[in-house]
Amino acid sequence: MSALGFRCLAAAVCFAFAFAAFEAAAGPAEVAQIKPRQDKLRDMGGALKAINDEIKKGRIDWDNTVIPNAQTIKDRSAYLLNWFPKGSGPESGKKTYALPAIWQKNDDFMKLGKAAQAEAAKLNDIALKKDENGLKAQALATGKACKACHDNYRSPDYEKENEDE
Amino acid sequence: MTSTEGRMEAALADSTDLRVWDLPVRAMHWLLVIGIGVCWWTGLHNELEYHLWSGYAILWIVLMRLYWGLVGSSTARFVNFVRGPKAILDYASTLHRRDTPHSHGHNALGAISIILMLGLVLVVVGLGLFAVDVDGLYSGPLSSYVTFKQGRHLAHQHYYWFNILLWVIGLHLAAVFFYFIYKRQNLIGPMIHGKRRVDGGDAGDAQMKIAPLWRFAIGGVIVTAIVYAVSIGFYF
Repeated sequence: MSALGFRCLAAAVCFAFAFAAFEAAAGPAEVAQIKPRQDKLRDMGGALKAINDEIKKGRIDWDNTVIPNAQTIKDRSAYLLNWFPKGSGPESGKKTYALPAIWQKNDDFMKLGKAAQAEAAKLNDIALKKDENGLKAQALATGKACKACHDNYRSPDYEKENEDE
Repeated sequence: MTSTEGRMEAALADSTDLRVWDLPVRAMHWLLVIGIGVCWWTGLHNELEYHLWSGYAILWIVLMRLYWGLVGSSTARFVNFVRGPKAILDYASTLHRRDTPHSHGHNALGAISIILMLGLVLVVVGLGLFAVDVDGLYSGPLSSYVTFKQGRHLAHQHYYWFNILLWVIGLHLAAVFFYFIYKRQNLIGPMIHGKRRVDGGDAGDAQMKIAPLWRFAIGGVIVTAIVYAVSIGFYF
């Protein structure tokens, strides 16, 4: 075996080991997603609450509340599916309510995520049009699109522990 | 007269039934059982749309029970069953005896658990009115008065106090079971059909003074208006 061939083989073996290690243990980049992902999702919940509060009050403040919050939900939802890299589930050892099903049934998860993006975009359109009749229905549809994912892919334990700080 | 003789006499007598719980008390009791069951299930399964409705139902029932505790039939009124510490201790000291007579209505010790349960249900419902769900989708009707973070904190408190309520309900069930097994007193039947058998120690008890149903209807209108106002967050 030539020296070059040996070096190539050694490099390939090293690469294989490195790749296997990468697959087995979550890398720091994946783990680093967990906390900001929780913060961003919580912000989206807060934004939807703000919109629903306006609907409850019956005196809708479009410019100061509905439009900026609809924008937040739409913008965040666009990145939603990037927040769940493989390795950022419970196997990371970090506190997360993300269930392994996210990666086991990833096609379904992605489908629900894209549906939520579509609803968030519609909500933003309605906010910009200041369509009072459409707002209530679309806030509900958006919330349900969020919930659809949470019902199957978030551990119900999140309700038991007070970790919203 | 020993209690055995009394029981025999009672068993032989023709009019052995005393009315103890009126229809509104029994209906509110069992509707509350159903309501809490529905709230428990829908809460655990994040079916908050229905959780809100069952929560309003419970609020209605508890407010009606408070109203009925003021103007209802004699056994439903707080003044007739809430006792002071001495009466409670006296009653507690006879708890181990098997031959004690039936209490007509709530006994002194049971009254504590009734007040505790009513109070806890009010606390849990009250927290739920302000609670915010993590999705910001089905929040309590008064949640617009608190921030997202405060509302989330209240939602956790809602959950915490519900668990305390479950323990007190467990104690209530254990007490009913204790009376059935140890004291041979069936407390469940009267809560269903409203009557109980007379026994030796209490044959002289007065019949329950029944409040008219129209009085319940008046309360129903007022309480429905209150619950409606709460459900729309007082935004008229």
